Amino acid sequence: MVAEFVKTSTVAGAIKRSARSVTMVGTKTIDQAVAGAPRKDARPKDGVVSGGKIGELARQGAEFERFFTLSLDMMCIAGADGHFHRVSPAFAALGYSTEELVSRPFLDFVHPDDVAATLAEVEKLARNVPTIHFDNRYRCKDGSYRWLSWTCAPDTSGTLYAIARDVTETKRTQEALARAKDAAEAANRELESFSYSVAHDLRAPLRSIDGFSQALLEDYTEKLDADGKKYLSFVRTSAQQMALLIDDLLALSRVTRSELRREGVDMSALARAAVTRLQRSQPDRRVDVVIQEGLRGEGDPRLLTVGLDNLLGNAWKFTGGRDEAHIEFGASSNDGRRVYFVRDNGAGFDMAFENKLFGVFQRLHAATEFEGTGIGLATVQRIVSRHGGRVWAEGEINRGATFFFTLYEKESVV
Amino acid sequence: MSNDRVILLVEDNPQDEELTLRALKTSNVMNPVVVARDGVEALDYVFARGAHANRDRAAMPQVVLLDLKLPRVDGLEVLKALRANEFTKLLPVVVLTSSVEEQDLIRSYSLGANSYVRKPVDFVQFIEAVRQLGLYWLILNQTSPLAGRL
Repeated sequence: MVAEFVKTSTVAGAIKRSARSVTMVGTKTIDQAVAGAPRKDARPKDGVVSGGKIGELARQGAEFERFFTLSLDMMCIAGADGHFHRVSPAFAALGYSTEELVSRPFLDFVHPDDVAATLAEVEKLARNVPTIHFDNRYRCKDGSYRWLSWTCAPDTSGTLYAIARDVTETKRTQEALARAKDAAEAANRELESFSYSVAHDLRAPLRSIDGFSQALLEDYTEKLDADGKKYLSFVRTSAQQMALLIDDLLALSRVTRSELRREGVDMSALARAAVTRLQRSQPDRRVDVVIQEGLRGEGDPRLLTVGLDNLLGNAWKFTGGRDEAHIEFGASSNDGRRVYFVRDNGAGFDMAFENKLFGVFQRLHAATEFEGTGIGLATVQRIVSRHGGRVWAEGEINRGATFFFTLYEKESVV
Repeated sequence: MSNDRVILLVEDNPQDEELTLRALKTSNVMNPVVVARDGVEALDYVFARGAHANRDRAAMPQVVLLDLKLPRVDGLEVLKALRANEFTKLLPVVVLTSSVEEQDLIRSYSLGANSYVRKPVDFVQFIEAVRQLGLYWLILNQTSPLAGRL
């Protein structure tokens, strides 16, 4: 509308022909066009003093000029030749001088993927269809792109009067939100069905183990010696421990989107504790375990414990048939990123099925060969991904497996 | 305990059935227990049809202990069917199941469950839960005079 004033010569005819069919003449035109309100309100209180219509016009002209110059939105006038004729100082945000902006067709600045849509919008304007919040990307002088949201009044003279607002940050936020939402929803759907099964099916056998152990202790107490009673109490303790573990995992699945604790974690100590638990569970196993000392990381200690329990538990399990079982926990540096690994010389796996390793309830070994539920690695993956990391594996049948994982990958430089 | 009305236990897992019966016995609940192994059996019993066509339909259970995950017709469907019927809509139903998943709790209560109890893994706690259930539903609680009346 400022532009209408600036290019007075084209304004009157254009407006008369416009789709809005507003017929205005002279000063009235400008008043109404600028104020966008009924005329009686448009005239400033201190409007006409003594200078008559010419002085009034000049005064308002200066006012509109200030409006154009001071606007934080980008204002511009472009011609039918496809060039900017005039741009407001706000365009400096793109990094170009006014000369640079007016010397080339404006489509040159538009992102190649947005050119077609921009042309379509220009054609609509030629048919008197106003542009309202049309977004495209403009290339800045430094090569980066900014998202601009355009509004443009139609003008059949072919001259475009447009206002753009930089919405790059909003766009980025929206895109990030949309991506995060999609990912969260997909993960949640999987979690829902997964945890529902777990909640119902995994507890029943434990109840049975605990309940009948207790029944034995009650009904056959005279027939059991001290060791027998002790073992049954171990059975009950383990069943209850496992029930707690299940509850923890269910709680984890329910709180996927809740805040994650982040604190200093001694990964070496977590690994040692995990191996100690494994050794205690199978005191007869002889496994050569090497744990790299001093690996301090960050994360949620409870979840990382579950993760390492799973990875080392797998290594422990799949080296079961080895005369000389070796398990190693350590870390290497890759492009400044720390990559933890758990390596074993156990049963390994066929790399062709690597993509199946981390799926829920996916197993690559028969239950008769190695026990398991197929939840462990899916849990590891979930934990690692909650810590902003990745997990992957390398292996070969009968030649062991190595599981790698990172934490806070995007930010970590060790 | 106070009366000889039937407890209907809807439970498909034989070990859980055994444990629940044991817990009832340990808690001195003397009421006869009828076990239905899936939702179809449970509804057949309540509505005196199918295998239970010959039982006295007017003799309603004192309480239904209902597992949720059942073959054929699951617990929530049983609950829905009970609540949809004039004859059984006030019948006390206690959901007795493994999970405390939020969706199960919400759906059970929205469908008109009277109570929701999770079966603890620890059998000592299980017995305590069943003892309290028996105390409440068989002795303390006064059911509606209309519950299970024709």
